[in-house]
Amino acid sequence: MSGPLSVAVVGCGAIAYEHLPFVASTPLARLAAVCDTSPALAAAAGERFGAGVVHTDVAAMLADVRPDIVHVLTPPHTHDAIVRQSLAAGAHVLCEKPMTGTERETAGLLAAADAAGRKLCESRNLLFNDSILLLRRMIAEGRFGRVTECDVLLSLDFLAGPFGDRNLSGPAVALPGGAIHDFLPHLVYLFQMLSGAGDACAVRGFLQNRTGNPRAGFDHLDALIDDGTVRGRLRIATDAYPEAFRVVVRGTEGTAEIDLYNPYLRYDAAPNVGKRAPFGQVANGRKLARAGWANLRNKIMQHGTMHGLPRMIEAIYRAILDGSPMPITPAEMIATARLCDRLVALGEPR
Amino acid sequence: MKVLVTGAGGFLGRAVVAAAARAGHQVLAMVRPVSAGRGGFPAGVVEVAGDLRQRGAWCDALDDVDAVVHCAAAFGDLPSQLAGTVLATENLLAALPARLRRIIHVSSLSVYDFDAPRFGGVLDETTPLEAAPLRRDAYTQTKLIQERLVRDHAARAGTELVVVRPGAIYGPGKDWDAGTGLKAGRFDLIFAPFARMRLIHVDNCADAIVAALGVPLTGPLTVNLIDPEQPSHWRYHGLARRAGVATGIAIPVPYIAVLALGGSARLASKLFFRGRARLPELLDLPRQRVRWRPLRYPNARARAALGWRPRLDLTQGVATLPEAKG
Repeated sequence: MSGPLSVAVVGCGAIAYEHLPFVASTPLARLAAVCDTSPALAAAAGERFGAGVVHTDVAAMLADVRPDIVHVLTPPHTHDAIVRQSLAAGAHVLCEKPMTGTERETAGLLAAADAAGRKLCESRNLLFNDSILLLRRMIAEGRFGRVTECDVLLSLDFLAGPFGDRNLSGPAVALPGGAIHDFLPHLVYLFQMLSGAGDACAVRGFLQNRTGNPRAGFDHLDALIDDGTVRGRLRIATDAYPEAFRVVVRGTEGTAEIDLYNPYLRYDAAPNVGKRAPFGQVANGRKLARAGWANLRNKIMQHGTMHGLPRMIEAIYRAILDGSPMPITPAEMIATARLCDRLVALGEPR
Repeated sequence: MKVLVTGAGGFLGRAVVAAAARAGHQVLAMVRPVSAGRGGFPAGVVEVAGDLRQRGAWCDALDDVDAVVHCAAAFGDLPSQLAGTVLATENLLAALPARLRRIIHVSSLSVYDFDAPRFGGVLDETTPLEAAPLRRDAYTQTKLIQERLVRDHAARAGTELVVVRPGAIYGPGKDWDAGTGLKAGRFDLIFAPFARMRLIHVDNCADAIVAALGVPLTGPLTVNLIDPEQPSHWRYHGLARRAGVATGIAIPVPYIAVLALGGSARLASKLFFRGRARLPELLDLPRQRVRWRPLRYPNARARAALGWRPRLDLTQGVATLPEAKG
């Protein structure tokens, strides 16, 4: 396929303002249309980012614009229908996570994409963040030896926003895992990518509503995962401060810890271990100080947690233009949805 | 007249409800569900619980209203304001009955281009609107969209429209930090100490809005609402302190120094951050000019068109500042 790609964005809420700056500026694409059921939100996004046309109806937009790729950025429970409509109209699809609420639904959409001869990709922007790329490189270089553990902790008071706003009626996220489900794919794909864990995992833990906020559905996750060779702990909490998105990778030869909100890298490995551990601490201290300055610069430069998103979109566009494999494969999407299902199944009745 | 007041639980909305009830209107006070039932409204006022971000049962309560005073708006980041200001207004307009006679839309002075008047010049209803909203904050961006939505709706529906653009609304518990630009320990840095503040007391503002419900109109009317006495930041700080507002030691920072700070920040952004630095209001030149540029703010149109005479003068208004905090 020759570029630039004709791009349509469906859903003009908060996440659209993360996608659209790149779409509107990359030479790989042309922003052909924005679409939202709210005319005002669609018009605001269209005007700000120079969309060719503005629509409030997906079917009409698809018929009018015939886009090469559709970004589906609507609430999760609406994804299935819009993704299918877009595929049927001959468009490739990039869908925000969580693409669906279950493995079965994910498999259904991937089958629809396959039948339409189009590519379907669920967003995994954090895989393209500097810190995660660094961890992946270190793993590939063998600096952990064999990875045996991976923990991911998200500490975020998401109930302070719309997810917990009791002025609004209905569930915040209309998926089986409630508000937790909106974040769960991030934790699961990070765990799977960094640990290399297979499908046959034992899963134990808690998925609960600890605050009693009915809009949240579930607001607390603490789960242990073990596939026999590698294990990990996934946690989501709303009541621990300060906000953090920590990832720890441990292996037979080293351990590293990062934070996606305020990136730093603490790496402990030979030779600075045992009696030489204090030297390792000094070295890590220097790295932490440098990370502090880098974070300050990043905040000023607006290089935030979403900085991997443009890289991911570019990789997807290039894969479509080149006909090369997508950066996120159907098998990976299925595996993530499957583990999400098992974690959601931990849910305790409220 | 049966009047719906949105944002009735807010600082201005609550005062509008009281003023409208006092003027003899039948008032429906729309409050968010979490705030509903807490009372505090005058006798006879009917609460309507609802959140404008979502269509719901509140829509049914609008069937027989004659006028709407739309005070509701959101603060926070851009997504919050898109939902709480833009989407909310869109939902409200969609729910309004065809028989509605008048909309009083509470906009803001922030929609103007503050660079348009000359230094020390006049900002009034003839001043152009901000043509490059992206250089301003999310509040300006969404208030511009909101105002356009309301104007388009009123024109389509043939509804009478008054757009009011209040200045900085002050009153019990809301003191705009006594005119302080930046607090530094025990010191209050008073930026542009001699520039006028575009203040309006919340009760004066509510009176003007209620007056707008009844004035005869020949077409859409836009009025700025600012009290006649426009104290400098320095004077307001002193008045607030004497009225009992907790203040620090006032240190004047001339407007030229404020601009120099903003200019330096812009240069540093270009040199070290490829011009992509996100600067706080304090250091961002366009927003500095909005807040501290010396201008004059006449209110002749509000007086003439609404017959508005402010009930409280500056001294009386400032005396109310500590009421809620105390």
